[in-house]
Amino acid sequence: MPDNLAIRIEDLSIKYKINVDTKRTLKNALMRASKGELVRTRTVEAIKHLTMDLPHGSVLGIVGANGAGKSTLMRSIAGILPPTEGRITVNGKISTLLALGVGFNPALSGRDNIILGGLASGMNRAEIESKTDEIAQFADLPDGFIDMPVRTYSSGMYGRVAFSVAVSMKPDILLLDEALSAGDASFKEKSFNKMRELCAEARTIVIVSHALATINDLCDRAIWMNKGSLVQDGKPAAVVEEYLKFLKVGTLPSNYEDM
Amino acid sequence: MSNASANPEFSPHLQVFEPHKASLPPLIPYIKEFWNRRAFAIELSRFADKAEYLDSKLGKVWLVINPLFLAVIYFLLVTVIRGGAGSNLGLTTLAHILIGLFTFSFAQSCISAGATSITAGGRLILNQAFPRALLPFSSTISAFYQFLPTLPVYIVVVAIGKWIFPETQVPGLTWNYLWIPLIIICVGVTGFGLSLIFATLNVYFRDTNKLLGYFMRIWLYASPVLWLPDMLHGWHRVILFINPLGPVLSSTSNVWIKGISPTPGELIGSIAWALGSILVGGYFFISRERDFAVRI
Repeated sequence: MPDNLAIRIEDLSIKYKINVDTKRTLKNALMRASKGELVRTRTVEAIKHLTMDLPHGSVLGIVGANGAGKSTLMRSIAGILPPTEGRITVNGKISTLLALGVGFNPALSGRDNIILGGLASGMNRAEIESKTDEIAQFADLPDGFIDMPVRTYSSGMYGRVAFSVAVSMKPDILLLDEALSAGDASFKEKSFNKMRELCAEARTIVIVSHALATINDLCDRAIWMNKGSLVQDGKPAAVVEEYLKFLKVGTLPSNYEDM
Repeated sequence: MSNASANPEFSPHLQVFEPHKASLPPLIPYIKEFWNRRAFAIELSRFADKAEYLDSKLGKVWLVINPLFLAVIYFLLVTVIRGGAGSNLGLTTLAHILIGLFTFSFAQSCISAGATSITAGGRLILNQAFPRALLPFSSTISAFYQFLPTLPVYIVVVAIGKWIFPETQVPGLTWNYLWIPLIIICVGVTGFGLSLIFATLNVYFRDTNKLLGYFMRIWLYASPVLWLPDMLHGWHRVILFINPLGPVLSSTSNVWIKGISPTPGELIGSIAWALGSILVGGYFFISRERDFAVRI
């Protein structure tokens, strides 16, 4: 892979099975088996033959309706969901914020949660502990809150801490899934500035957001996905415009078939 | 601020994600990553205990009181059924039930805490890539730290018993106690291996955990805890070996109660069950690990 690339995705397809039974229990499975039926599963083709290169220092926005495969793509880049076909090569340390507040144990303090998350991602304890105060400060936590159980946090605080953790780990590649809705206008401004700072250091950011203004504002490239396939790849303004047309009219651009 | 590549702390590293062959991820990197992140499992077990016992006044004392009370109840039950405590007020029976139950509880907590570790760790699983086996492993570490303080309890009970009944057969210090670390390792490895199986099942069938309670109860009765392994004769002794904890609990009984070394059969059985559980459990778990992020 060329050195200037942060992420290379080659002919990526991801399928997985989900259980569509309302009751996912052994009892239910046995009852079905006794009637000679199988547990009802459905195969989801979340991503279909996606190929893409992303150079270091880019900010990529991903737009698409629900079920487009955006979150699956993020998870596969993070290594959480391995490909069914194809290959993903990632050059750099990844930090993820794939769903708001995810990764927190409500009974533990903010500090303990930060330490656990850091250790899980392979950092060592000293490295993480040196960052917790910085994280608390960036998240605008009131005094002492970092050592209180996370269940006592307001939802805004929760989101701000999660975001601060993700950006403070100095990732080479930052994956943010709907993470920018946290916090008020001033925190949003602060988080945008932080992301611009990261880009200036040639770090790469991938953002999934339904807030199209955010995509326009922050990204230098955008892709639009629909039902697991790439519809359009280009400048954010152009992609967002086409996507908005699609949302209003419900038809894909005529060149979709060629993609 | 320094550039990413100029910062040795976070030097870029290349990761390649490809389809798994035979549904298994590349095993050597997996095991390496598992080992590199063991600090996570250790911290997680500490934090989990902290969260669990934060609100309880007696706190961690419950970890000792629980199995102790249970042992006393079983002791009463056994002596009533047998119609008398026997010689020395049944000190041997009590000691056997105590150490058997403590050892069995170690395996039991590995399995029951491990079984829910994946479904309960959903938040972390959705957000980060790491070897998932670290979650049940952390339950095994917790179980071990809960087991450790029960050993002094046993020693105190036996010491008092020997002081009151000096003629009891329960041994004092012997060299055969050196077998104990091996026995404990076998129990831990067997427990961890089985917890991998139940943790995976619990992702697919959420009632596995409920069923596990009954399963564990039956398993306890089928294990040489409330009865002595010597009570079985002839082909009945098969029960001791088809039970994953049978050989290791027989060894426990030999070392702690009789002060003799485990028989070769018991040793081979203990090690075979430990290796078997970790291999089968490990394969079952790791080959389905990819599913966890979409099934939770």
